[in-house]
Formats: sequence, C-alpha cells, structure tokens
Amino acid sequence: MSKQAKETTRLDTSYGELIWRRFTKSRLNLVCLIFVLFLFLLAVFAPFIANDKPFVIRIDGKLYFPLLRNLQPSDYCIFLAAVVVLWNVIGRLLPFSVPLGLRRMNHRNTSGLGLSVAIVSVGAVLIFVFVPRRFDAVDYKTMDACGKATGAIFAFIPYGYARTELASRRQPPSSRHWLGTDDVGADVLCRLIHGSRISLSIGFVAVGISVVIGILVGAILGYFGGWIDFVGMRFVEIMMAIPVFFLIITITAFFPRSFLNIMIIIGVTGWTSNARFIRAEFFKLRKQDFVQAAVSLGLPLRSILFRHILPNAVAPVLVNATFGISSAIFIEAALSFLGFGVAPPTPSWGQILSLGVSTSGRFLWWLTLFPGLAIFFTVMAYNVVGEGLRDATDPRLSKVA
Amino acid sequence: MKQDEILLSVQKLYVSFSTEDGDIKAVQDVSFSIRKGRTFALVGESGCGKTTIALSIMRLLPAGQGKTISGEIIFENQDLLKLSEKQMRRIRGNKITMIFQEPTTSLNPVHKVGNQIAEAIRLHQNKNAKQAWADAVEILRKVGIAEPEHTARAYPHQLSGGMQQRVMIAMAASCKPALLIADEPTTALDATIQVQILNLLDRLQKEIGMSILLVTHDLGMVSEYADVVAVMYASRIVEKAPKGQLFAEPCHPYTRGLLQSLPRLDVSAKRLEVIPGTVPEPLYFPAGCKFHPRCPTGQKNKRCRTVEPELREVQSGRYVACWYAPGYEKR
Repeated sequence: MSKQAKETTRLDTSYGELIWRRFTKSRLNLVCLIFVLFLFLLAVFAPFIANDKPFVIRIDGKLYFPLLRNLQPSDYCIFLAAVVVLWNVIGRLLPFSVPLGLRRMNHRNTSGLGLSVAIVSVGAVLIFVFVPRRFDAVDYKTMDACGKATGAIFAFIPYGYARTELASRRQPPSSRHWLGTDDVGADVLCRLIHGSRISLSIGFVAVGISVVIGILVGAILGYFGGWIDFVGMRFVEIMMAIPVFFLIITITAFFPRSFLNIMIIIGVTGWTSNARFIRAEFFKLRKQDFVQAAVSLGLPLRSILFRHILPNAVAPVLVNATFGISSAIFIEAALSFLGFGVAPPTPSWGQILSLGVSTSGRFLWWLTLFPGLAIFFTVMAYNVVGEGLRDATDPRLSKVA
Repeated sequence: MKQDEILLSVQKLYVSFSTEDGDIKAVQDVSFSIRKGRTFALVGESGCGKTTIALSIMRLLPAGQGKTISGEIIFENQDLLKLSEKQMRRIRGNKITMIFQEPTTSLNPVHKVGNQIAEAIRLHQNKNAKQAWADAVEILRKVGIAEPEHTARAYPHQLSGGMQQRVMIAMAASCKPALLIADEPTTALDATIQVQILNLLDRLQKEIGMSILLVTHDLGMVSEYADVVAVMYASRIVEKAPKGQLFAEPCHPYTRGLLQSLPRLDVSAKRLEVIPGTVPEPLYFPAGCKFHPRCPTGQKNKRCRTVEPELREVQSGRYVACWYAPGYEKR
C-alpha cells in the first residue's frame, strides 16, 4: 500500500526521468551541461567554424568547394560518431521517445549499444579506406584578395590551425585575430577550437578505455569474491599506489608522441577507481534475489554479469567517468605543456598554453590566458555535471538533499 | 507419462557451513522423493533448513564459506551434485526452475518483464528474439495477466506484487520444466492473492504435468495443495506422510503441536495452543532428539535426551522420527 502511495505523480516515471528532474533542479548543472554540449558541437563542427578554405569559391567562372574537398577521413569519422551518439542519446536517454527506429528493437535493446559501436568502427575503417586524404596548399585567401577568384564564402574564423603566417606572429588580440596569434602566426582562436577536438576525444577515448577495463576487472572481482578478489584487489591497490601522472610521463618517454598513444596511456592507467566502484556494486548486487533468479534460470555467466548485474551497477561508474573526462583533459594539457603531449602542428590546449611562456623571452599573456580559461571552464563544467549526476543518482550523497 | 514414476530423489543429504563459531549443520540426513506430476511440500519454521534443501537441488548455495554437502540428489538418473556447472546450467531454468519468496526483488529492475521471460526462452529453446517475445506474451496470458502485450513491455516496478509473482511463475514455467521449486511463493502477498497464485500453480501443474516442490511454513497452504508432506524441524525431517494421513493423525509431537496451533473453524477454542520454548540455534543443537526440550514426553525420557531417533517407516508411506510414535519400535 505504502509503495503505491509513494509513486504519487505518475506510474510511468522512468528512472531516467527521475534523474533528469533531480539534475535540472540546479541551474548551475544545466548551464554546465549546456556548456559541455556546446563544446561537443564546437569540436564536431570545428572545420566548418574555423577553416582557411572557403565553403564556396568561383575561379574562372567555375564553382569549387575547397572546404568540403579538404575534409579529412578523421573528420568524417568524427561526424559519423557524433551522429551515432546523438541518435542514441535522443533514442534512449531522453524520457520521450523519438521515432528513429532504435526504440523498435524492443526485445533486444541492449544490443543497441553494441550495434552503435559496430557501426562506428566499421564506418571508420571504411572511411579510412575509401576517403582520400586530400590537402591542397592553394592560398584561397590571397586569390580572393587579389581578385583572381570571386564569390568566396569563408568560414566564421577564416584561418587554418596549421597555417603559418610568419609576418603576423606573436600578435596580441586584435580585430583580425580575436585571440591573437602564436609564434608561427597561427590564429589562437582557431587552434583553440580545433584543440577542443583533441582534448575532448582524449577525454572520451581515455575514459572509455579505463571504463571498459574497470568494468571487466571489477565485475570479475566483485562477482566471484574469495581469493580471486583478494589477489585482484591487492593488484589494484598496487596500481593505485603509483602516482599516475609520473607513470604517464615515464611511459610517454618510451613511445612516440602521438595522439593515440596518449589516449591509450591515460586510459590504461586510470581504470583502478572504476574497477573499485564496479566491484563494490557487484559485491552488493550478486546476493540480490534477481541475480539468484537469473542463475536459477540457467543463464550463462556472461548474461548474468553484463546483462543483469551491470546495468544496475553502472550509475556510479558513469558519474565517475565524467570526472575521469575532466582529469584526462587536464592530464593531456599538462603533458602537452611539458612537451610530452601531441606533436605540433596538431593543436592542443596545453601546447598553446606552453607557448606563452617557453618561446622568446616575453610572456605572451594571450597564449596563456585563453587556453587556460578553456581548460578551466571545461574541467569545471565536467566536474559540475559529474557532481550533479552523482547527487541525482544517489540523493543520499547530496549535501543539499 | 506414468504418474507414479519418481522424478527427483534426495538421498541422505547433509549440508553444513563452517563458521568461526563452529559448524552449522543446516541439513542432516534428509531423504525424500518427488513423483511426477505431484506436489511435495516441505514444511517447517524459518531456519530449519528447507530453503537450503531447495537451493541444494538447484546447486545455488553460495560457493566457498566452508560449505560441505554430501548425499545424492538424483534427477533423471543423474546425480545433480556431481554435475559440472555447465551441465547444471542446462538443467536450471529448463528442467528445474525456481520461484522465490519476494517477487519484488526477484525481477531485474532494469529490464522489461517480457525481455526477462524471452531471454530464458531464447536460451533454452533456441528461438529467435521475435518468437521468444511472442512466446513470452503467450505465457503471460497463460498465467492470467489481462493485457499480456502491454504488461510484457512494463518494467517490474510498474506491476503489483501479485502481478510480479505471476511474471516470476511465467518465467519459471516458460520452458515447461519437469520440476518447479516454489520457495515460499506466497509469503510476501496478500491472502486473496495467495489463493490466486496457488490456484495458478495448480492449474499449470496439470497443464504441463510438472512436479512441484513447495517450500513453506504455511500449513493451510499445504493442506490444500500438497500430495505428500514432510515436516522439518532443526535440520531434519521429523515426519513425512501423504497429506490426508498427516493432517488426520499426526505422529510426531512437533507436527501435532503445529496443527494444534492453527485456528480451526470446526473447533471453538479461546486460545490457540502454542509449542513451548523456541527453536534451537543451529550452533547449539541439543543432544538426542532435537525436539526434546519442547516435548512433554521428551523431557521425561532419558532416551529422548541422549539418542537421536532416525526417520523410520511406521506404516506404508508414513515416516516419523520419534521414539514414542506408534509403531516406531516394532520395525
């Protein structure tokens, strides 16, 4: 009886809806979530926002589309991934249903995630095989300026992140370069926007790796317990005792400075806290009646662990993942600042920041301030979103309650 | 299928858990057999070992923790205790299924009930997702759910306790098992729903021809639905008999006490009888007959205090473990 009374408002209030309602109670949470989404869009559409190639240009009476022509395979991959992510978010996280087809897969909706991953990975391979890597070094801006071409429509910020203009290097913010230029004359705003791609993808991929490892290890330790758990947890504790940042610096010294390596290194060193969360949840859940019921139905271990226990255990890990993203962004920035990060001309926030102090004798404040702010706001937004999520999923932890 | 064939036979089952304080003997020297298409009831107070027996049959007792188990559980000519985990998985949910006391916590909160049923069907019957879903809807209709297509898409928390238990039964019955273990299937439900659920089990039993092992402390339920009853006290079966005989003339003083403590319509009594004393702690079982401290005869007799009586057949089909039960000594 009391249970029915408790479900006051609507019977069909789903868990997601409940979390969303608690989450949006705080204005700050919402603002930070919007900022995170804004960054996401910025990163996805970076080539359309800041690019030195025009969308359209008319040369000798013929129309050209240099910006579209110069999109790299990696750009297409990012678009594909973004479309799939958006599709999933709209189709499943939001409380209302969208007739996009994902909902139709009623009796096997867990395979949706696997399907998405499959689409993205197969798509990425196909894109890298079939989309040619084009790069034309034509300077459309000069052509446009000296009247060789007409009707050029440039992106909002008409600079390329790898374009050097030695004539205008180390310029403070002006109406031409809103956030100034760096020591090779590239526009800082453009590099910041393109750098958001690096930072975010390092954040997401590194956390993805660490969450997957954490879930696998944690699930096994938590479900089996006993000596497996004992040995496993000692190993996790040893891993935790090593200062991660110095470990990462050491490892990066052995590998070439590449974007992919950094993601993997941050990922494989950061899984311990996820493993501990998952283990604790599995420890709690494995004694629950519905797990016993699943075993008594003769379901295989894989299904029990990942279909029946994991969805009930994943909330704290998702929350932890948002903190993980911010710390991965932070670690990447720190590595780049120290010169262990991605190699130029690939832009990264930490790298731009380091230019402000390391080149020439002068302190170039715009090279330090703006990427610093970008890192600061991004890390803060992710932390606030993570904290909001944590309080929403577990109201007992909330300080305001 | 012959009605009298034995489906499951438990022989000399012993289960104990060693703890820091000593060995807990949860089940001692328990033997019984269940015939095809019949209902066998295990009755006893909480902690007497009846759930442990149910879990032993399913091989669901938690691993480790110093558990020792001996004896035989013969099901379809194989000893379940000797099967590998993989072989056991093929039996669980397919040939032997179980429903639990708390339907609310026995369903996974994150999956739609239809999916939970369909998963078992897909696994054991090699059907594709669509067929399994259709089957799940069909079995939900069979267990008396009014709008099965709609309910199949519901999450467990959107259903009432009775509905949830129906879903659990649907899940357990979906693969037409030979044996259904019902561990206190109605304890968490209202009295009116209890009757509905038991009638449902009864109907399914007739349709599928399955046997039921009913684990309960509710003698009223047993008197309605069981064919053979075993009364357990402190880890042992103290009396085992066909239902009619047990209720007509109980032989063991504990059974007698239990029956006297039930309210009856045909006898007017101001107060119900109680059995004096409490159930002994598993760590500190008394010597001799475990019931002797609470038994008027047992307190007086030295034999009851020192030697534990074993379960013996006193008439055909009637077993009892009491030195002073009629016919106990003769055989």
